[in-house]
Amino acid sequence: MDQAKYEQEILLLALNAGRILLENGAEVTRVEDTVLRICRHYGLKSASSFVLSNGIFLTSGSEEETQFAKVQQIPVNAANLSRVADVNQLSRQISAGLCTLEEAKAALEQIDRSPGFPWWVQAAAAGISGGCFSAMFGGHLKDFFCSLIIGFLLQLFMLKLGKPCFSKIVRNILGSALVTLLSIFCYRLGLGFRLEALMTGGIILLVPGLAFTNGIRDIAAGDYISGSVRMMDAVLVFFSIALGVGFIIALANQIIGGIQL
Amino acid sequence: MSSFFNIITQTLAAAVATVGFSLLFGTPVRYYPFCGLIGGAGWFFYITALPFSSASAATFLSTVIVIFMSRWFAVRKHCPVTIFLISGLIPLVPGNGLYWATYYGVTGELTMAFQTGLEAFKVAVAIVLGIVFVLEIPQKVFTIGNKN
Repeated sequence: MDQAKYEQEILLLALNAGRILLENGAEVTRVEDTVLRICRHYGLKSASSFVLSNGIFLTSGSEEETQFAKVQQIPVNAANLSRVADVNQLSRQISAGLCTLEEAKAALEQIDRSPGFPWWVQAAAAGISGGCFSAMFGGHLKDFFCSLIIGFLLQLFMLKLGKPCFSKIVRNILGSALVTLLSIFCYRLGLGFRLEALMTGGIILLVPGLAFTNGIRDIAAGDYISGSVRMMDAVLVFFSIALGVGFIIALANQIIGGIQL
Repeated sequence: MSSFFNIITQTLAAAVATVGFSLLFGTPVRYYPFCGLIGGAGWFFYITALPFSSASAATFLSTVIVIFMSRWFAVRKHCPVTIFLISGLIPLVPGNGLYWATYYGVTGELTMAFQTGLEAFKVAVAIVLGIVFVLEIPQKVFTIGNKN
């Protein structure tokens, strides 16, 4: 392989690693670090990167090395932290000199293809988390089981109908409206005991924990652009949740004349 | 006695909920026990501190503990701190406050809406402060006594 081609391969490998990290919920500093570390290790000294929350710009070129640049746009995706952990592990191995360029490429492809959990496992996990949250906020055993079902249905809605059909904002408004509707329903029928516990168990599944935490971390690390975008994302989702909840409660007030607490 | 029982069940519930969230975020299965431990510990300190302090102070305390533990395990398990941090913090996010603020806002009790909304915002700020402070602690502190 001639030198220019080899350098290009390194850059593409680093970019690919960065893309997987960013897509799956890593913070900007980690992406920059990993990209540059991979380039330096394979001998590409002039590489330089610029990472935003939804894109990576990567260039190389100096007197000795060939000019090359690549921009990769990265859509916001559902996080899969095991891919972040795997790429991190791979980058450690590369730094330790345990991986050739070809091996690293193959390993990255494998990480990219690693499957997530099937929908029913995710919905069941959401149900159990929701149930536990309602127990943490003073729910009784009855509330636990109601929240279990509400969480399961909510996640089912988000995965099967929300993701393919609606934008993020509409999806969250509809999701929180669904939670409120089901909670009031359970509460009025006497299936649930405490409305507050039911609501908290449902809402917490929609709360943008990843965007919020990563936003703060990016801002704390000085990546203000990415940090603000992620915080904005989190705040929008918070508002969408409030909108959905508020709409149904207002409606319930009109129709059934208030929900006694 | 009953409050002791409450603390135990709630801590267990928080641990299980955190593991559930770890699954939703796609955390590798081998880290589930640590995620559960961190989430449970965070909630345990939160409800233990709550009778003696405001919600935001209790949140700050448990955020500090959650992130400290996350970094501790991240160094020992050689993985990004994100893995423990995100699911561990979920129990502390003010979802409940968000509900109350909306509820009072819609039912026209604006004073209560403002009060609960401000409380939720203060809790969020406490989480921010906790994250910022503990992530600034140099990495060396967490590698103390780390054999491998």
